[in-house]
Amino acid sequence: MRILLFVSGFAALLAGAALFTPTPVRAASCCGGGTAIGLVVPKFARAVTDLSADLEIYDGYWNQKKEYTSDPPKSDLRQYRLNLGYGRRFGQKWQGGATLPYVWNENNYSGLKTSSQGLGDASLFLWYDLLEERQLWLATGAEVLIPTVTIGTSLLLPTGISPYDSEESSFDVTGRGFYRLDGNLLIDKTIKAWNTSLTLGYGTYFERSVNREYGKAVAPYHKKLGDRLSASASLGYRYFVGTGGDNLTGTIGYAYLTEAEAEIDGISDRNSSFSKQSFSGTLAYSSTDSDWSVRGAWSHALKKDGWGENFPVTDIYTLGVRYVFR
Amino acid sequence: MSSVKFSCLFLLLLLLSACGEIADDLTPSDTDQRPTFETGTTGGGVGQNAPPFTVMDINNTVIDLPTALAGNRGIVLYFTMWCPVCDGHMSHALAYVMPNFPDVRFFAVDYLAGSVLLAKEAASNAGYLNSGFTILADVNRQLARDYNATMGTTIVIDSSGVVRMNEDYRNGVRLQTTLSALP
Repeated sequence: MRILLFVSGFAALLAGAALFTPTPVRAASCCGGGTAIGLVVPKFARAVTDLSADLEIYDGYWNQKKEYTSDPPKSDLRQYRLNLGYGRRFGQKWQGGATLPYVWNENNYSGLKTSSQGLGDASLFLWYDLLEERQLWLATGAEVLIPTVTIGTSLLLPTGISPYDSEESSFDVTGRGFYRLDGNLLIDKTIKAWNTSLTLGYGTYFERSVNREYGKAVAPYHKKLGDRLSASASLGYRYFVGTGGDNLTGTIGYAYLTEAEAEIDGISDRNSSFSKQSFSGTLAYSSTDSDWSVRGAWSHALKKDGWGENFPVTDIYTLGVRYVFR
Repeated sequence: MSSVKFSCLFLLLLLLSACGEIADDLTPSDTDQRPTFETGTTGGGVGQNAPPFTVMDINNTVIDLPTALAGNRGIVLYFTMWCPVCDGHMSHALAYVMPNFPDVRFFAVDYLAGSVLLAKEAASNAGYLNSGFTILADVNRQLARDYNATMGTTIVIDSSGVVRMNEDYRNGVRLQTTLSALP
């Protein structure tokens, strides 16, 4: 549900592409699901494709007072996602692509077991290479400080199962049901074996009409979700394995996500805003020519007061593989 | 040629995603599709006689529809699974709705409760043990089935046993409007 939490700058660049690891927004089956990832095609490549699998385990939530609250006893909530992404260059500086998740919800809630699956929310994205950092040995003076800056936009498509479809259970939800347009900024800097990146995203949802809730017809109304802000920072280190050029990259990251209050028929819904902070670690192995790479990632939210508001606390485990077309 | 393949792939994905119910979100409708019910029929729809129920609250007290309605202008059944959305709705109701309607009784229905004991523990975890809500343990999901309810569903039944509202809590505005209109 669903937003870009960018965590893996360095590893991705080494493999020739910046991969944005997703974090779900209200991805719990209670609150909507689906994922959105973005791919950045490396400068001298033609295209990139990425396949990843996520396991997200829910473990409580932060309430409206930002207090950590545990789930009901005997609860086991999980969401599995298979994410397919493809991006390609359209010119020297332009590139675009799409991502499409497929979602499985597996829930055991107070003894009630449910299982459902379906498409998540798809994303289309467009990037522009605004600034390119120079290789260290070619840079002179202050040029060594210039980072790579990429700006872009993405459009979230409501292809998932939302609360406004004919599905009758909240456990079946895999998407949010709204279009969203984001503006994104990626700043990345590599110095020798070290890399750091900063990403910012700001999105606004399009208002829609609603005449059904969980399959039940209701009096039509208009709803608009609140604007969304996401930010993340990461630090990575590359280590060469053996003498062949294969390398292993470790990256740690921090991410912040918040969404403002929704509006229903123009009236604010004070129950709907939320925020989340999380930390992540990524380990990526890429081949000598960096065409192939595999990665594992762990995104962790702290089960403590003050680290989120009105949002589920989850751990996300990711395994992914990527191929760059030259 | 590659661009053509790429475009075709996108079109295919979009077409696939537009199949069936997903199209409801891609092209939302604003037509009123609510069914009309005959007066005097029993069901969870607005205007119908509320289905009778008998459930235990978390203090092991038996609650049925006549007991719940006794002495009140109406009752509210809020269906919870103790999630963040539910907490948002319930805390909003506690702060902004209940104080304005002292003659209405509010029930939180744990429709996923495995037992009365588990419902009590869940309510305690979420901080609603001694709140303004009476917590019902819908162990057999009788209420959820009869009222076609899921997470966040909010039902208002007036003192004569007629359903006045059956929809998501949203921002609480509709609930307050409905309660204000109770006879």
